[in-house]
Amino acid sequence: MNLPLLNRFSGSRSAAPPDGTVSLEEHHDESRLAQRRADKWMIVGAALMGMWAPGLIGFPIFMRGVWLQRQALRAGLSVRPMIVTLIGYLVLIDGMLNSLGWALDLVANHTLINRVLMVGWGAMFDGGYFWHYNEFWIGGAAGPGEKSMVFGMILTVFAMRCAAAIGFLQMKRWGHQWMIITCWMGVLIWCVYVWNMTMYADVRFAGVVFPVIGWWLYDIFYITPFLAIPYLHTVNREIFTD
Amino acid sequence: MDQKERQRKKALIILQIVVYGYLALMFGIQLYMSFARGWWEL
Repeated sequence: MNLPLLNRFSGSRSAAPPDGTVSLEEHHDESRLAQRRADKWMIVGAALMGMWAPGLIGFPIFMRGVWLQRQALRAGLSVRPMIVTLIGYLVLIDGMLNSLGWALDLVANHTLINRVLMVGWGAMFDGGYFWHYNEFWIGGAAGPGEKSMVFGMILTVFAMRCAAAIGFLQMKRWGHQWMIITCWMGVLIWCVYVWNMTMYADVRFAGVVFPVIGWWLYDIFYITPFLAIPYLHTVNREIFTD
Repeated sequence: MDQKERQRKKALIILQIVVYGYLALMFGIQLYMSFARGWWEL
């Protein structure tokens, strides 16, 4: 029996001809297969992490994909650079988490899961998701300015960000370009959002269990894709294909 | 590395400092408010 798990490094060795050389075509095929195999794990892991509650289950699955890709890199195969993988999946998860979370707040704000988890989150860290929750003419968060950002950003940047991340992971030129665009949009979003949090800090933080620090600890993950901007502007764009 | 590339890198570093500086400032204001307004006393 030749289970893939038991024989995962044997492919490259057995495929090589006796003189130890590998043709370009074989190398290309092996690289493509290795990338695909690692991506299967990373896609499943990222999807679980992008669905909020199953995030902890998704993390080890994702990390196995990272490990597989690292093994392929060390074996000399032409797989995607690790930095592209990490930035791509980070942005994909960011886009999925925000799309799902804010879609729940906008559309499914009266569901039991939302009234428990979202309002519970509000009571703990962010009063914007507790103060007059589900009491306005449209349900969900009632914090000043919050609903405008929920509505506007779901329809524009976060859907776009998921698409950009997929194109970026496929090493497409448009993926790189849209990644730059949406990362700059991220700068705009966070300048606006953090100002709004400070302006209405009395609504957001007064009376919550763990004010200010709790929100920042949690949200710093979403803010970090800023760090990709210097890389995106300085990377050799020829590695992304048309 | 040519002059243009060097300038681009410098501009990007300055941008990061400005953006993260702004975020740190907002965090500082919120933290100050949390103590000044008694948000830690439940």
